[in-house]
Amino acid sequence: MKELVIGVSGINAADNPGPGTGIARSLKEDTDLGARIIGLAYDALEPGIYMDWLFDRSFTLPYPSTGGEEFLDRLLEIQASEGLDWVIPNLDVELPLYIKYADKLSEAGIRTFLPSMRQFRLRGKDKLPEAAARFGVDVPKTFVVSSEEELYGACEQIGYPVFVKGAYYQAHRAYTSLEAAAKFRAVAAEWGYPVIVQQSVTGEDLNLVGVGDGEGGLLGSVAMKKISTTSLGKVWSAVTLKNELLDEAARRFVAGVRWRGPFELECILDRRNDRLFLIEINPRFPAWSYFATGVGVNLPALMIRRALGLPIDPRPDYEAGRFFMRYTSEIVTELDRFQCVMTQGSVR
Amino acid sequence: MRGENRLLQLSVKDDGFLFDPSTGDTYVANPTALAIVRGLQAGRDEAQVVDQIVAEYDVTPAEAHRDTADLLGRLKSWQLV
Repeated sequence: MKELVIGVSGINAADNPGPGTGIARSLKEDTDLGARIIGLAYDALEPGIYMDWLFDRSFTLPYPSTGGEEFLDRLLEIQASEGLDWVIPNLDVELPLYIKYADKLSEAGIRTFLPSMRQFRLRGKDKLPEAAARFGVDVPKTFVVSSEEELYGACEQIGYPVFVKGAYYQAHRAYTSLEAAAKFRAVAAEWGYPVIVQQSVTGEDLNLVGVGDGEGGLLGSVAMKKISTTSLGKVWSAVTLKNELLDEAARRFVAGVRWRGPFELECILDRRNDRLFLIEINPRFPAWSYFATGVGVNLPALMIRRALGLPIDPRPDYEAGRFFMRYTSEIVTELDRFQCVMTQGSVR
Repeated sequence: MRGENRLLQLSVKDDGFLFDPSTGDTYVANPTALAIVRGLQAGRDEAQVVDQIVAEYDVTPAEAHRDTADLLGRLKSWQLV
């Protein structure tokens, strides 16, 4: 079989880490797959570029905001040079482009395993209550607002505290109308409109990563609880768990939406009332995806294997109580790696 | 999952480390609390657990009762029972 070449984005393993390095590590650990991994970066300082044990070669891409044609042309250039067979996109802002151009990429020999644009939009923060109702999962009261007047109306109906969230990223808790207005302006300035206002539900933060097969089935999933987070709210240590309500929510989501590809459910468990609230559905692998691989559920490899018709474990399982700890490390290398990325947009 | 089930499914180690596999919560119990949790997991009621503590430790029934009631209160507040 021809060597499989897989492009992986989100290789910014920084204080707000992307999922890419964990995905590359997962793919490399499936030695039977024998994949060559190409890092797809947006900046010469994304640490993944310098992790040559994970990425056989790295390229920079134009930002998705520069437009689809330029983005597509760059991917085709990389394909011509490296024989790219697959891309696993891992950033929310680039997913609409990959979904839009999935057919064109496929015609050029670059495969993806992604939801349709309709499915992608359905799980957006602004559509979450509608999506959750379809598969029967509770969500906190949520309003989509585009003005301060709408914001105040939403906060009045919800009651304080509320979460003020950007359409793609960021969430701030606000305890007063003044605080809510300040957060609303900050989120709108950075991420644009609309802004999401959501009821603050108290309970345990539980997360689940999984891959839907596009036919209503789940290829595998792993759930965890964050034990500690960074000042940006990113997980630093965590523990695996098995929660029936969370597993059921994942099964209902993939079955109800026929989700195709990776996803993360962010939920809050209200133990007092034995209810699970769905807070967000991320349409991609989360940054902690390697945790699943480390406990025996290699979701990136499962996804690729399923799409290629290679043998897979039909019921990958893991133990509750496995521990995850991040740490910092340093790479010392030659300046010419940085130089190559800056001048040529790629490095071996 | 209701409290009774959560206590039963709690993973209990000899050193007092308790782990709830359905929520990821962890607790550290002292030897007396560990004995009480194990007694409750074995299906004993509060009075039987008090008797067990009196038999195992050098404490009066009043002290054992106070410790057991105190821990049960905490377990309830954590929705474990």
